[in-house]
Amino acid sequence: MKIKLSELFFVCVKIGALLLGGGYVIVPLLVSEFSEKRAWLSREEIIDFYAMGQCIPGIIAPNTIMLAGYKLRGKTGAFCALLGLTLAPFVAILLIASFVSLLLKSVVVNDIFWGVNVAVIILIILTVKEVWSVSIIDKLTMLFFLTAFFMCIFGISPAIIILLAVLLGTLRAKFLKGEAK
Amino acid sequence: MTFLLLCFEFAKIGLFSFGGGYATLPFLYHMSEVYGWFSSNELSQMLAVSSITPGPVGLNVATFAGFKTAGILGSFCATMSIMLPSFFFVLLVSKMLKKFKDSPVLNSIMYTLRPVCAAMLAAVAFRLFLESVVKFNNFSDFVFNNVDFKAFLLFVILLIFSLKIKKDPLIYLAFGAIAGILLHFGHLFA
Repeated sequence: MKIKLSELFFVCVKIGALLLGGGYVIVPLLVSEFSEKRAWLSREEIIDFYAMGQCIPGIIAPNTIMLAGYKLRGKTGAFCALLGLTLAPFVAILLIASFVSLLLKSVVVNDIFWGVNVAVIILIILTVKEVWSVSIIDKLTMLFFLTAFFMCIFGISPAIIILLAVLLGTLRAKFLKGEAK
Repeated sequence: MTFLLLCFEFAKIGLFSFGGGYATLPFLYHMSEVYGWFSSNELSQMLAVSSITPGPVGLNVATFAGFKTAGILGSFCATMSIMLPSFFFVLLVSKMLKKFKDSPVLNSIMYTLRPVCAAMLAAVAFRLFLESVVKFNNFSDFVFNNVDFKAFLLFVILLIFSLKIKKDPLIYLAFGAIAGILLHFGHLFA
């Protein structure tokens, strides 16, 4: 049975609109919409896509839904899923961005942003903690962490830091392969 | 010219950011320093809005930053450009799923990449903390009295809360917003 592109698109629009509090809830939403309600994919497949979505560059939630879309309807499916996911957040941001100068004149809104900003710092710290637990596993990774932290604080371009890390990882793979021989 | 540069810069973010929505922030801070399309203060406002509207934070901030730089067309360019590299990666990866998962080179890259991403995020948290709580810009004009002690208190409360129980991110955002509203009415009655 071929899944209709229009249905895929609208389900993704729904997911995009319900994706509150950052991209973290993408997995439960996908499981509910793609697996439980429609049996398009299994729960395991979705969790696999999420894991893979973290390994490819970019933002995790769209990556995950594109992988799911690709599995269902190939290239067009991936594109449809991406467009669907983006639609509601895009419109919401445009609306708010158009009125933001007005909104910011309101003292209440400013105070809300004040509190939300503090909460965001905590959310970022929680993300760091989560990544930390799977990534800082020995002295070497600790060294990478500290080096990158100070490079970032001193204003070195993040793209350069990432490129260096990828290069280092590739060299390490070559080295390990040579050692194994 | 701005549009081309905008597309290029956001495609760069899409290609080089790993590890979720907040991972795009170091790039955006760098962008605000290099091009001056928006100030770091505006960036924290965008971040607050992006966190409470639906959608992945990274995508929302990109839409917002694009709008700030060049209007509606700018936001469209930014959103599309940031997703373009991922789209091609998805096509590539989906074709060689098995190979990709067990590749030793990829595993080694993830080994070096993950701590680096964690570090860049930690640097963003550190920077946001300095900016919005300690009100610290540089050593020369740091005034101890400027420190926002209410924000510091809220930070400590939320931090303790996060150590005890780890719940939905929405709870933290709602708590922050409510604290903001309470502060507002506190001002009114004071």
